[in-house]
Amino acid sequence: MTEPKMSEETLNGLHPEKLKGILESLKQPDVLAGVSGPWKSRVVWQGGFHAKAYMRTHAVEMDEPAGLDACDLAASAHEQLLSAMGACMTVGFVLNATKRGVKIHDMEITLEGNFDNILKWAGLDDSGNPGYRGVKAKLFVRADADEATLKELWKLAVEGSPVTQSVIRGTPVTTEFQMV
Amino acid sequence: MSEKQLFPVTVVGSWPRPAYLIQALRKRQSGGTEQEFQAVADRAVIECLNAQEQAGVDIPTDGEQRRDNFYSFVVEKLGGMRLMKVSELMDFMKDRARYEEVLRALDVPAFAIKSPIVVERLTEKNGLAQDEVDFAKKHTSRPLKVPLPGPYMLTRSSWFEGLSNKVYPQPEDLAKDVVRILRKEVLALKAKGVEFIQFDEPILSQIVYGAESTETFMCAALPNRRDPTDELELAVRLMNETVEGMDGVRFGVHVCRGNWSRREEVLLKGNYGPMLPYLMDMNIHQLVLEFATPRAGELEVFKEYKNDKEIGLGVVNPRTDEIEPPAQIVARVKELAKFYDPEKIFLNPDCGFGTFAERNVNTAEIATKKMATIAEAARQLRKEFQGKAAGQ
Repeated sequence: MTEPKMSEETLNGLHPEKLKGILESLKQPDVLAGVSGPWKSRVVWQGGFHAKAYMRTHAVEMDEPAGLDACDLAASAHEQLLSAMGACMTVGFVLNATKRGVKIHDMEITLEGNFDNILKWAGLDDSGNPGYRGVKAKLFVRADADEATLKELWKLAVEGSPVTQSVIRGTPVTTEFQMV
Repeated sequence: MSEKQLFPVTVVGSWPRPAYLIQALRKRQSGGTEQEFQAVADRAVIECLNAQEQAGVDIPTDGEQRRDNFYSFVVEKLGGMRLMKVSELMDFMKDRARYEEVLRALDVPAFAIKSPIVVERLTEKNGLAQDEVDFAKKHTSRPLKVPLPGPYMLTRSSWFEGLSNKVYPQPEDLAKDVVRILRKEVLALKAKGVEFIQFDEPILSQIVYGAESTETFMCAALPNRRDPTDELELAVRLMNETVEGMDGVRFGVHVCRGNWSRREEVLLKGNYGPMLPYLMDMNIHQLVLEFATPRAGELEVFKEYKNDKEIGLGVVNPRTDEIEPPAQIVARVKELAKFYDPEKIFLNPDCGFGTFAERNVNTAEIATKKMATIAEAARQLRKEFQGKAAGQ
């Protein structure tokens, strides 16, 4: 089998021509189905508040801050949710910038949120939302494009982010239970 | 300026970079040639020297027009250093949470703050500011001030555990090379006829006033905090080692509380009192200090050190648009002159007008007006004090 000829040209660490081909291929139902999911994670308790998530060939640890009688071995799940949103929007921004031929020099996204009612998590209150009341995300970017273009890329990144949109749209989560 | 002239007017260092210079700087950073950049910078230096002279500055600088900022420029002047973004340093930080708080308070990305980090043994090239002086001397006949990063700041902000300790196990080991290089630079600048060398040590304010605060930090890579007294003693020792046995040139040290933002609330505050015993132990001639901003406290702190050193009195705020009236400056100077020898008072702004090339805190137009208002105040003060001062 002959390997498709890969362009030597790179932008933002990606190969624009190759990327274009990949995105185009999503129009094929079988490719689209493969990319759509299911995406999986297996989270294994490690003792205390420490957990480890296994995803394909990767593993990510999560713990809670020492103030919660935990060992603070890793960032907490709620912090990693913020990070996942930020990383996902990063991917979206880079994807759209590369599609338009915009060179990015530096970018960072800062995110923060406050819990609405953490007493619910603690079992001290039956009502309310233990989750984030809201999340603020801010993009800092230095790239070869005017402000209007970069704002447009940011909009596309936010609106096209699977993780961020899962949060924004309140994706239904079904839960099951099995005693072993 | 005559030798005995009272209230010499000078600047702290930087002058706002014109847009064409910033453009040239960016071009150089993305692969443009050094020669191209220096040609553009030549024009900017001439303009800035002319502006200072027209405003009545007695002791100008070259406006640090060739520098990215007041300390990071050394990365181009010395071997063994790398200009690193805070974002690149995050993996090496022990107290990452503190940096995060500071970045959030400043509302800046980690990639925007850069610091020269020692990654190899330091090696010299062609001096730190000698090329700047060669050019500036051709375009002004006035005595020249040359700001240099102080030995403490150069040591502490460029030594980073995980990157520098392979070559220099401790900051004190790096300090030996820093002091050696600065001494050599001082001798070279003196030989070129430089009258005033100002060592910038702004991170001393971080040491003294930053302890309880997460508001801000001066430089990218002020590493993990150690005991403030030890740090101040180290700063004194390094300064004294740098200037030991040197004469024929005026040495100053500049300490301020931050100059990258017009938002006063993000800058440090506190009077010079806790720091003064250490500054007075430095064997230098002049303390170049900010006193226009209320964050710097009151002049009374000098009462117990009466006439110990010259004071470069900050009389205008470089971060505001309002031009301080000469009468206001005169009143401030008179306040100090009640208990301090007028012959030992120099007049300057609180800090530079563009400490960081891409973060001018003012325009060249306003900088010129601010220097002119200081010069007018100096004229009024000279009339009043000339002849009177000698008798004090």
